[in-house]
Amino acid sequence: MSVTLVEKVCVLGAGSTKYGKLSDSITDIATQASVSAIENAGINPKDIKASYISNVFGVADKQVHLGPVLMSNLGISDKPSLSIESACGSGSVAFREAYANVAAGFYDCLVVTGVEKVTHTGTEWTTTYFAYCSDFFYEGQAGASFPGLFASMARAYLTEFDATEEDFAKVAVKNHENGLLNPKAHLQKKITIDDVMNSAVVASPLKLYDCCPFSDGASSVILCSEKFAKENGNDYIEVIGSGRGGSPAALQGREHLTTIPSTKIAAKAAYDMAGITAKDIDFAEVHDCFTIAEIVDTEDLGFFEKGKGVQAIREDRTKLNSDISINPSGGLKSKGHPIGATGVGQVAEVYDQLTGKAGARTVRDAKIGLTHNFGATGASCAVHIFQSV
Amino acid sequence: MSVKEQLIENAKNGKVLTHKCTSCNHLHLSTVYYCEKCGSKGFEDTILDGTGTVATYTIITVAPAGFEQYTPYAFVVLQLNNSDLRISGFMANIAIPEDLPVGTKAKVTDFDEHRGIIIEKQ
Repeated sequence: MSVTLVEKVCVLGAGSTKYGKLSDSITDIATQASVSAIENAGINPKDIKASYISNVFGVADKQVHLGPVLMSNLGISDKPSLSIESACGSGSVAFREAYANVAAGFYDCLVVTGVEKVTHTGTEWTTTYFAYCSDFFYEGQAGASFPGLFASMARAYLTEFDATEEDFAKVAVKNHENGLLNPKAHLQKKITIDDVMNSAVVASPLKLYDCCPFSDGASSVILCSEKFAKENGNDYIEVIGSGRGGSPAALQGREHLTTIPSTKIAAKAAYDMAGITAKDIDFAEVHDCFTIAEIVDTEDLGFFEKGKGVQAIREDRTKLNSDISINPSGGLKSKGHPIGATGVGQVAEVYDQLTGKAGARTVRDAKIGLTHNFGATGASCAVHIFQSV
Repeated sequence: MSVKEQLIENAKNGKVLTHKCTSCNHLHLSTVYYCEKCGSKGFEDTILDGTGTVATYTIITVAPAGFEQYTPYAFVVLQLNNSDLRISGFMANIAIPEDLPVGTKAKVTDFDEHRGIIIEKQ
C-alpha cells in the first residue's frame, strides 16, 4: 500500500536529560527535555500545535495523564496531547504518530517527548513491572523476566549458530566504548570481555553486563513540515522512511526463535518508503536492550545475513566508524534505557549526528541514519530513516 | 467455561488444548480466536498430550516478585510433539545449563495460579 504524504517531515531540534538515576520527578525531567528541544530548535513554544508523550510506568512516580501537565509547564495548556504506551518501543511509536500527523498536514509543528522514572522502585519491582510487558499469561506468569526472555533467544542463537557467550560480551564492550564518548550516557565505564563474563548471571546465558540498566531519563524532539523548518532557519534533518510492524506477543508463537518478525516488517516498510536498502545506511541506533538483541537486530534489519551478525561483532565491523557504526550513542546498553524515552532519544542522537552536534562520537561523513526501537521482545517495532539536508 | 479456563483445566491434567481451523486445518493454541492463516473463526478442539522437547530455555537467578523462593528455576519454551506449536512454562529445580540441554524431553504437567503452566522433565 502506498501512502500519499502531503508534507515532507523534518526534525528541527532535539534535547535529552542525562540518562541514569535521576532525583527530579517524572514531570520535571519531561519538562527539562522538552525545554531543551524547544531551545535547540529555536522556536517559540506557541509554535507547537500538539504533543505526543511516550511513557510506560508513570504510575510508579505518581503521574499519569502526563501530556496536560507537560503542556501546562510549557505555557501551552490549550494544546492537545496524546500519551502512548508500547512498552520499550513507546518512543518510536509516539514519534511515528507525530510523523503521520505532520505528513498528513494536520499540524505543522509538534513536540514528541518520551520519559521514564523507575529506578527509585528498586530492582525487584522494576523487574516485576517490566515482566508485565510480556504476554503475561504464558510468560510473566511463568516467572519469565525480560532478561529471561532475551536469554531464551540467546540460548536458541547459541544452539543454532556458531556463536559464543564471549561474542555477546563483545557487543557490551563496544557499546560501552561508544558510551564513554557520550556525556549523557548512564554507564560511562570502559569494560572488558572478562568483566562481562565474570559478572553475575541474571538469566543464563545472560549476565549482568549483557543487560542494559534500568534508567530514568527524558528525550524530546521537535517535528515539523519542511516549509516550517525552512522558514525557521535552524538546522534540521529530513525523515525519509517510517515503518511499523508486529510479531506474536509471546516468543513461543514465532516461526524462528532468533528472528524478530516485527523488525523485518518495519524495516521493509521504512526502506521501501525511502527507496533505499540496508546498504545505504551509514549508522544505526538499534534496540540493544541485551547484547543478543543487537546481534539479532543487525540481521533482521538486513545489515548482515541471519547467523552472521555475530561474525560482524567478532570482526569489529560495527564499531564506531567501521563498516557500519551501530549504536554510536552507546545504545541502550551504555547510554541507558528509560523505556518511554528510548525511541525518542534515538532520534535525538540521529539529529545530533546529522547536524554535526555529536562531538567525539561523530560518525564521519554520515548522510543517512536509522533508528530501530521495539516493545517487549519485539512484539511491536518501529523503524525510521533520516537524511541530512 | 471460558477458553482460557478450559486451557487451564487441560493443563492441570497434563494436556494442551489446541484449536484446529475447520477451514484450513491450521493448528493454534486455544487462546487464538481467529485463524492466523485464513482468518476464519470455526475451530474444533484438539487435545495434545503435553509432551515435547525443550526448544529453548533460560535459568533465572534474578526473579520477578513472587518467584524469589524458587530461584534458580527455568522458564522453558516447549516444542509440542505431533504439532508445530510451542508452549511456555515454569520448570522448577534447574540450576545449571547441563541440567537442561536444548532437546530434552519434557511435558506439561500442571497449572499453578502463582507459576502458570508447569513443565517437568520426562
